Amino acid sequence: MAVRCQFENSTDIGVFSKLTNSYCLTALASSTNFYSAFEAELADVIPIVHTTIAGTRIVGRLTAGNRHGLLVPSTTTDQELQHLRNSLPPSVAIQRVEERLSALGNVIACNDYVALVHPDIDRETEEIIADTLKVEVFRQTIASNVLVGSYCALSNQGGLVHPKTTRSELDELSSLLQVPLVAGTVNRGSEVIGAGMVVNDWCAFTGLDTTATEVSVIEATFRLQGQTSAAVINEMRDSLIDHYA
Amino acid sequence: MASTIHSLSGIAPVPTSSEFIDVVLNSTMRKTPTVIHKNFKISRIRNFYMRKVKFTQDTFDEKIGRILTEFPILDNLHPFLSSLLNVLYDKNHYKLALGQISTARHLISQVAKDYVRLLKFGDSLYRCKQLKKAALGRMATIMRRQKDPLAYLEQVRQHISRLPSIDPNTRTLIICGYPNVGKSSFVNKVTRADVDVQPYAFTTKSLFVGHMDYKYLRWQVVDTPGVLDHPLEEMNTIEMQSITALAHLRAAVLYFMDLSEQCGYTIEAQCKLFHSIKPLFANKPVVLVINKIDIVRLEDISPENRAFVDTILEDKTVTVVQASTYSEDGVMDVRNKSCELLLAHRVEQKLRGHRIESVANKIHVAMPQKRDDVERTPFIPDAVKTRVKYDPEDPNRRKLEKEKEQEIGLNPWLGIYTQDLRRDWQLADDSWKYDIQPEIVNGKNVADFIDPDIAEKLEALEREEEQLEAQGFYASEEEEMLDSEEEEFLDAASQIRKKKAVLKKMSQDKNTLQNRPLIPRKKRHVTLSEFTHGMREHGHDPAVLEKRASRLVEAKKAAWEAAEAERGSDGGASDGGMDVDGDEAMEEEEEAPKGRRALRAAARSGKGALPAGITTSEQLDKAHTLRMFAQREPNRLAKASESDRHVPITRPKWMLAGKRKAGKTQRR
Repeated sequence: MAVRCQFENSTDIGVFSKLTNSYCLTALASSTNFYSAFEAELADVIPIVHTTIAGTRIVGRLTAGNRHGLLVPSTTTDQELQHLRNSLPPSVAIQRVEERLSALGNVIACNDYVALVHPDIDRETEEIIADTLKVEVFRQTIASNVLVGSYCALSNQGGLVHPKTTRSELDELSSLLQVPLVAGTVNRGSEVIGAGMVVNDWCAFTGLDTTATEVSVIEATFRLQGQTSAAVINEMRDSLIDHYA
Repeated sequence: MASTIHSLSGIAPVPTSSEFIDVVLNSTMRKTPTVIHKNFKISRIRNFYMRKVKFTQDTFDEKIGRILTEFPILDNLHPFLSSLLNVLYDKNHYKLALGQISTARHLISQVAKDYVRLLKFGDSLYRCKQLKKAALGRMATIMRRQKDPLAYLEQVRQHISRLPSIDPNTRTLIICGYPNVGKSSFVNKVTRADVDVQPYAFTTKSLFVGHMDYKYLRWQVVDTPGVLDHPLEEMNTIEMQSITALAHLRAAVLYFMDLSEQCGYTIEAQCKLFHSIKPLFANKPVVLVINKIDIVRLEDISPENRAFVDTILEDKTVTVVQASTYSEDGVMDVRNKSCELLLAHRVEQKLRGHRIESVANKIHVAMPQKRDDVERTPFIPDAVKTRVKYDPEDPNRRKLEKEKEQEIGLNPWLGIYTQDLRRDWQLADDSWKYDIQPEIVNGKNVADFIDPDIAEKLEALEREEEQLEAQGFYASEEEEMLDSEEEEFLDAASQIRKKKAVLKKMSQDKNTLQNRPLIPRKKRHVTLSEFTHGMREHGHDPAVLEKRASRLVEAKKAAWEAAEAERGSDGGASDGGMDVDGDEAMEEEEEAPKGRRALRAAARSGKGALPAGITTSEQLDKAHTLRMFAQREPNRLAKASESDRHVPITRPKWMLAGKRKAGKTQRR
């Protein structure tokens, strides 16, 4: 199930939220509309936490996490860390990371098993990622972009990556991640997938500008409606060709 | 290149010729100088009027130029738009109108050029003004003659702004057929366009557009006016719009037929029309829609009519679909079939082109190759499967934060909504949620510094202290001997302090002496010799004083001796009586010289004697001279006395006010 929503007139919802299989973070906004979009889908299943990171609202770009843990940048204040610790279940490890590339959401893309990271990330950080998130870590680029977190969205069932990723690159990444991958767009052609959507194993949230075609690709890729990702080739092939070409 | 009609809608309104002239002349008035005088230098006058003429011409030029650039050039538009505009407004007429306006612009600039040249020879204000007037008049006349083109362009503009925004490049279904066969009804059924449907021919008089979604894509459905079967030259504007759309849009064509002949045209005629406009269907997917099947189906018609229809169906590319917009039978079938056909057609075309390479990766699903035996299963909590989907209509739904916020927003007396961040905290005890936390700084708060057994430790310390005190640990060692070095140092310090104090005292004394009042002369002790010496110097005789002084001394001496003697005999008597006697005697003694002195003074004044305090006549002269000097200045200023502080008027008004000729400012 993919839901369209927006954060205070911005369709880049991946910037202002972080969704995993065991928790969801949303930015503190002037109204609760954005929070309630998540609440309607996820309440009673996983905790949805209203928070800021380092006093900013770009929580999705500053944090990285999966079912096992949450990494926050060194700029996170003690109060925020305490709030997150109190709000998240004890099974989720929270770790503050001293990393020069402090927008962890931009430099780390992960699901519950594998993480792709920026090629220039610290070795120590890499170890922390592996330990806290319990993942295998690969230094990678996506369509020659080093900000792997910005240009892809991953779940345990599939992944959507930058539209200019070549087929060979797609195959390579797919084998690393061990999930089917599709190149696509969100928000009416935006290539910053990570900023335009958030996804976990059973639901996705995309920016309000996302077209019907994009939503259907997302739903097929992440198997949100019970179909397989092969639908992208079979049923939607014609629509996609007509839409993109 | 403008690709949609939408991009044409931004044309500014075209004023009528009279409005045009008013606007331009007004702005000339407002934006050029208005004050000129015949006494000005002639070059200035000429420039003044030349500027007016040039300005007017510029304004005309700019305004006409704007019209010319805003109206599209038909040849630059998409063929569909260009021929649609041709059909609607007549290309020749349109071009002519724009041409005339352009010519007018040229003429106006010529007029301006001529008159500016003439103005250079203007020899008076009057002539220059007449020249300017003539120039502006001629420009206005030229513009007035453009009344018709301007009016026409305004009409075109209004019409263009109301055209439906048809995108010639997107997925389009075009619906065509005879009038009254049910084209508009179909459009109303599949899209949300509200096209007027009436039971007479040519209800639809122009193109209409509706939009729909199919297969995640946006489709545009163009409803065209009905077409009659006659040669192209005889077709009217309404029919020509349909033909234009058919000819230029790359779309699926839905040819509607009414087999019931309720539309007033026979099946034969309808089939003939199909054949006559068939050339327009080349390279397009064509769907033959048999409408009104609630009355007659394709299977029900007579063999002769069937034969006509079969002439159409001979062409294998034509797909036939039956539907009824009345009973809505097969409407969706028609839509789906035609969309499929068009999509397949478009995809086929795109696959042939080179752009397909850019989307190749987007229609590719990269499947992972197994690299190890780890099972990576998705993690979906069971709660997701059992969870009831949120439904905003459900009365028993979960109340979202948004709704709570809105409720408070609607009732201002409920206060201001704030998000309760602690509500969902997961703590061991829920009652801890709203406990006040001490401030956290650098990862620690006060709790981190509290030792759980601090009380015991303090007690232990106190006990130890008591013990030490009891043992006399602190008793001695208070008077420690200062070593010599330290002693020396302290000694030097005290010396310095003393010296400083002395210096300070000296400095203070210097000031105090100056400030302290002197002892009055009366109280000061003066010896007899000092006194008499001074008197002699001033020429007085102190003999009397000396005599009295010696007498007093003797009296005092005698009194002292008497007292000594008495003390020797009985050892005590009051001194008071003696003093009192002595005082009385002194006063008596003083009376006598006073009287005598007065007598002497009186005696001296009788024979031109000196005044008091002056002994010699020289002294008297000197005193007199000094008095004369002292009085000189007050006398000069006519002062009544020393206390006279009157300041006379220095600038008398009578002297300074009023008109006076030169040289008469003297005081009268």
